[in-house]
Amino acid sequence: MKKFSFTMPQTLYDQLMAHLFPGDGDEHGAVIAAGISQSAGYIRFLARTVIEALDGADYVRGKYGYRALTADFVARASDYCARERLCYFAVHCHGGSDSVGFSVIDADSHERGYPALLDITNGGPVGALVFAKNAVAGSIWLRDGVYPLQGLTVVGPNVRRLYSSRAHAPRGANPIYHRQSLIFGAAGQDLLNKTRVGIIGMGGAGSLVNEWLSRLGIGEIIAIDFDKVEPSNCPRTVGATHWDAQVWLSAKEWAPLRRLAGLFSSHKVSVGARVAKMANPRIKYHAIVGNITTMETALLLKDVDFLFLCADRAQSRLVFNALVHQYLIPGVQVGAKVQVNRDSGRVNEVFAVSRPVLPFEKGGCLLCNELIPAKQLQEEALSDEERRAQAYVDDPLIVAPSVITMNAVAGAQAVNDFLLGYFGLFSDSVNKGYLMQFCCDRQWSSVECRAVDGCLHCGKTSASAFARGDRAGLPCRG
Amino acid sequence: MTPSIQQAVEEIRSAYPGHSVDVEDDGAGGAFVKVHDLLIGDQYVPPVSWIAFRITFQYPLADVYGHYCVPNLARRDNVPLGQGFSQQVWRGEPATMMSRRSNHLNPALDTAAFKLAKVLDWMRSL
Repeated sequence: MKKFSFTMPQTLYDQLMAHLFPGDGDEHGAVIAAGISQSAGYIRFLARTVIEALDGADYVRGKYGYRALTADFVARASDYCARERLCYFAVHCHGGSDSVGFSVIDADSHERGYPALLDITNGGPVGALVFAKNAVAGSIWLRDGVYPLQGLTVVGPNVRRLYSSRAHAPRGANPIYHRQSLIFGAAGQDLLNKTRVGIIGMGGAGSLVNEWLSRLGIGEIIAIDFDKVEPSNCPRTVGATHWDAQVWLSAKEWAPLRRLAGLFSSHKVSVGARVAKMANPRIKYHAIVGNITTMETALLLKDVDFLFLCADRAQSRLVFNALVHQYLIPGVQVGAKVQVNRDSGRVNEVFAVSRPVLPFEKGGCLLCNELIPAKQLQEEALSDEERRAQAYVDDPLIVAPSVITMNAVAGAQAVNDFLLGYFGLFSDSVNKGYLMQFCCDRQWSSVECRAVDGCLHCGKTSASAFARGDRAGLPCRG
Repeated sequence: MTPSIQQAVEEIRSAYPGHSVDVEDDGAGGAFVKVHDLLIGDQYVPPVSWIAFRITFQYPLADVYGHYCVPNLARRDNVPLGQGFSQQVWRGEPATMMSRRSNHLNPALDTAAFKLAKVLDWMRSL
């Protein structure tokens, strides 16, 4: 049985609610144009645009029921969806608050109209949603049948989940999670157990985030890194032993033995899997030895509930930013940087950064905030030979300074932000910007995020991949 | 090649009608492009050259950087070429590289065709 859900950015949800529930107690209508993410047995629709139906002009007295969308409005909206390769969803509201469902008249109108809409929109899928103030029900039409909607997730600083009726709360949390379930509740702990999280990069910051998420009781982690543990990683990589790094072989004078160290050392994701299973033996863990810039690897993350970026390359940032905006996945970028004067060796600045990246305007798009330099992207795409030909000089002896406690500052902030947002515990006035700690000054600083018109990730122009899901390409190697 | 890069190649062909344009897949979703018989300026020997460059798979978000022309390009007045020129290698063959970065790249405006035009303008202005 296929499962269907809907994901909607907070800004779009607010627009829709203001249109459906203006305070007059009447019924109103609209169309949502949505992208789609398809996995085996699971389809997620991604709301990209709300087309409001004007009362009296587009949403009028119905021939069969109280109100209906006019044929002209349906034609315009479905034509837009067909041109933009989006899925068409008719929306209206009912009274009530915590539960909602379609009426018999609604269901009859779907039978009359949706087979034709499937043809007009090139196979759709198409469907309908009906909202109450705190509930939503949906009917999804595919060529092979009609399916109910499981629920709708609103992604903002707080994540909100809507269903057709109130979910039944579990009786009690597993006793080992008693202390934290006093904050999140038994339902919250159950939710964590059903949550899938992606971690890109399992070095210093990623390995910390990995352990904390596992101890919190996250049910499933997809961890991605192609790197192996080296001796110099041991002080920062949680769970890494000297055996993982083959320290004894690495120290040999004979070069072939040192090369064997590289062969026998453990992948960072394998260490992460071991740590996660120690923290939570029931966790479902995917240790992916791979590069996020390859399509096959990136697509493993398209349906996670939250994404942590703990790698610092521009290409990783680009793919992460695309996943957040194209698949409407909330995420956070984590990092720490030590700036050292190369000549004097003096430490100029130490900072830890936690950058929430959420899929809506001014939600922290890394492109809009100039955190993915075009120059660096181009350089990273070159082979070593091409880099030499362009006269870039890589000195393998020059590596970035890094300390576990500085990674921990950034990582802890990011995991806290995930938890508070995921359980809707942020206040309405929460600071939505990036947070940086300037460690040498013991100062936290907030950076307000901006949005650039026409952004290819978070913008709303036709060229933008925003909420298109599978119907746009990810910026990965072909 | 990604759709964005196919579009970039079409724009280059449209911007330089009458010039032969060689395009080769780079195996990662990008392309190696070589535009022939471009007037680079009477101040150079030779005044006409091919210009080649690579469009990487993240285009249009990545800079198109490293434009190459005939090896051993020289000025007719024997003055050294100066900053921005260097003798490098283009796909295994000697070539003169022009180094022009697009700072604050705007993907909607800074297309591969526009970048080539800017490189040519710069060369002709020296």
